[in-house]
Amino acid sequence: MNPLVVERIVKNYGDKTAVNGLSLQVSEGEIYGLLGANGAGKTTTMRMVLGLIYPDEGSIRYNGKAYSKEQLHNLGYLPEERGLYPKVKVNEQLIYLAQLRGMSKKAAEESLKKWLEQFEVSEYYGKRIEELSKGNQQKIGFIAAVIHDPQILILDEAFSGLDPVNVELLKAAVKGLRDSGKTILFSTHRMEHVEELCRNITIMHRSNPVVQGDVRAIKKQYPRERVMLATDREVTGLESLAGVRYVTRHENVTEIGITSEDVAKRILHHAQGQADIERFELMQPTLNEIFIKTVGERHE
Amino acid sequence: MNNFWTVVGFTIRNKARAKSFVVSTIIMVAIISIAVNLPYIIDKFSSDAPDRIGYLTASSEEAKLSSVTPAVVGDQMREYFAKQEHPDYEFVPIVNLNSDEANQKRLLDALSSGEIDAYATFEDDGTSFPVMVLHAEKEYGDTSKANMQAVLQSIKTQFALQGLGLTEEQQTALFSQAVVDSVKVNTIGEALEEEVEEESGARYGVVFIILFLLFFTIMGTGQLIATEITAEKSSRVMEILVTSVSPLKQMFGKIFGMFIVGLIQTALFVATAVVNMLLPHNKSTLIDMGFDISEVPVDLYIYAIAFYLIGYFLYATLYAGVGSIVSRTEELAQAVMPLTFLSLGGFYIGMFSMNAPDTMLVKASSFIPFFSPYAMLMRVGMGDVAGWEIAVSLGVLFLTTLVCGWLSAKIYRTGVLLYGKRPTIKELRKAMKAYKL
Repeated sequence: MNPLVVERIVKNYGDKTAVNGLSLQVSEGEIYGLLGANGAGKTTTMRMVLGLIYPDEGSIRYNGKAYSKEQLHNLGYLPEERGLYPKVKVNEQLIYLAQLRGMSKKAAEESLKKWLEQFEVSEYYGKRIEELSKGNQQKIGFIAAVIHDPQILILDEAFSGLDPVNVELLKAAVKGLRDSGKTILFSTHRMEHVEELCRNITIMHRSNPVVQGDVRAIKKQYPRERVMLATDREVTGLESLAGVRYVTRHENVTEIGITSEDVAKRILHHAQGQADIERFELMQPTLNEIFIKTVGERHE
Repeated sequence: MNNFWTVVGFTIRNKARAKSFVVSTIIMVAIISIAVNLPYIIDKFSSDAPDRIGYLTASSEEAKLSSVTPAVVGDQMREYFAKQEHPDYEFVPIVNLNSDEANQKRLLDALSSGEIDAYATFEDDGTSFPVMVLHAEKEYGDTSKANMQAVLQSIKTQFALQGLGLTEEQQTALFSQAVVDSVKVNTIGEALEEEVEEESGARYGVVFIILFLLFFTIMGTGQLIATEITAEKSSRVMEILVTSVSPLKQMFGKIFGMFIVGLIQTALFVATAVVNMLLPHNKSTLIDMGFDISEVPVDLYIYAIAFYLIGYFLYATLYAGVGSIVSRTEELAQAVMPLTFLSLGGFYIGMFSMNAPDTMLVKASSFIPFFSPYAMLMRVGMGDVAGWEIAVSLGVLFLTTLVCGWLSAKIYRTGVLLYGKRPTIKELRKAMKAYKL
């Protein structure tokens, strides 16, 4: 039994449909990616999972049970625009939030200290939020979501606006939570994070789930339409080959767009006639490309 | 229930420690202390130093005449003020040097040396009584002039009467003042309680203060609640809060926490006022002014507390509801305007009807929930209200508070999740339906 099971949920706001028949399952120790452009229905989905609003149709089950107030202690939420009281001290507000989720004051204090240590910011314990830099505020926001050790974590754009060092730090923390068996629902615009973290994803577009499943399986469904070529000498005449869509010359490598995989053989043949091949790779589509393709196609 | 108290505790701790709150409380305490001591301070200043006004004694020439000379008028003025307990002026005779120039010099010297604050000359304007002219470095206001004019007038009358040869009794009869008195009666003509002037003075003051405190706390804490909620929303703490604790507990926890804070503040104000009033020097001054707190009936205080409690929760829940639908603090002032007007309206009806507590406007208002805390309390304090009227007014207020609390909770539950422009009532209802509330 997966800790989080969403079945065919539908949500209408008046005559506008915000989420239309979404189903997904997140198992223990898994990060599930929820992708979509702005307004695709991600936030509405997350709010339904959090029990803030109820789906019009379908059901959400937590460890097999329906939503109840007790679930609140089991859920951790990091909102997209993370919110904290600017003028309240870190320890006061985090312990307050932890207490609201059923933690004792003492346990909350310990948990907070442990997390601050992990993020190497122990000195912020008694500081006001407004005194901290943005990156450090986000760390505190993240701690607010996980301080009570929830089983199910919902992270909305967890890494947005962070510098690379802090992204790595938070990414490591999220991976750590995954490895300790948490169930994580994760939304983002940044595809490289998804490829690194998520096993399964759903791409939503205009309220509908359009692509769903295992990241590797999804990639396999999409044809490989890009060749990377590096040679010791310049190869000419690539543009005139049949089936070549574009040729882009980068500093050390040439990127060639093709209409189908057979064209790749012709390119290899053509290049071998002119130079020694240093690198030849038929590229898998990136999630970014898949995303733009699925979302873009439906835009028309 | 546990979470409710966690919210209450957090609200109290944060608010009571906020610099703005501490500073404004200290300022109010200082203002109250000064206000209570003001009568005493004014009394001290005014009684200590009457203005000394010099005038010339009769010249050798004038002394031979028997008519009304400036010196005689001056002497009369001196006698008049000398008889007063705390005179505002003291007339000082200055020996006439029988020469206009020398006199002028003498008077100016006295003025510059501080011996006198002003000097009066009396000039003949052709009528039987001279015109008094005050010479001073400062300007004498209309009040001072009117005071002296009244004294001068009575002196003039006396002189005129002397010529008529009236008896002493006749003169006394002429000068004694006419009196108007009032007695409260009920409909069968029995005089109600033996109400002395002082008590109604004290009542007036107490009702005034209670109305003011009521208005001050309801508006103050109401605004604070709305501001806090909007701030939580705009800083997005709200998103975390609503996923941690049910909105209902959150809203009422905040309202209750703020209530305690407001109560502590009000208690501090009242305590400051009472302590200051009990200081020995103030006690006598206030009683002199006809203000004795202990003479105000206890039931007025009990009703004041009842109206304060229910009135507070009525406005507080509405302020919370309004605060929850606004996304940015800048828009809040505009959004709470209707509530501010309601509260202000009730306050003004109460304040400006204190002299006429039985008008139709006040009677009607005392049953209209948003006005009744002010209007009914004023009636209880100043007029004659039947017990059932108070009961009905309190009952209506209580029911309205329940309805508004329920409505606000619904608005709150929806409002905290709505961002962007302030929703219209229609949009709000749509959202409520969509959220299945």
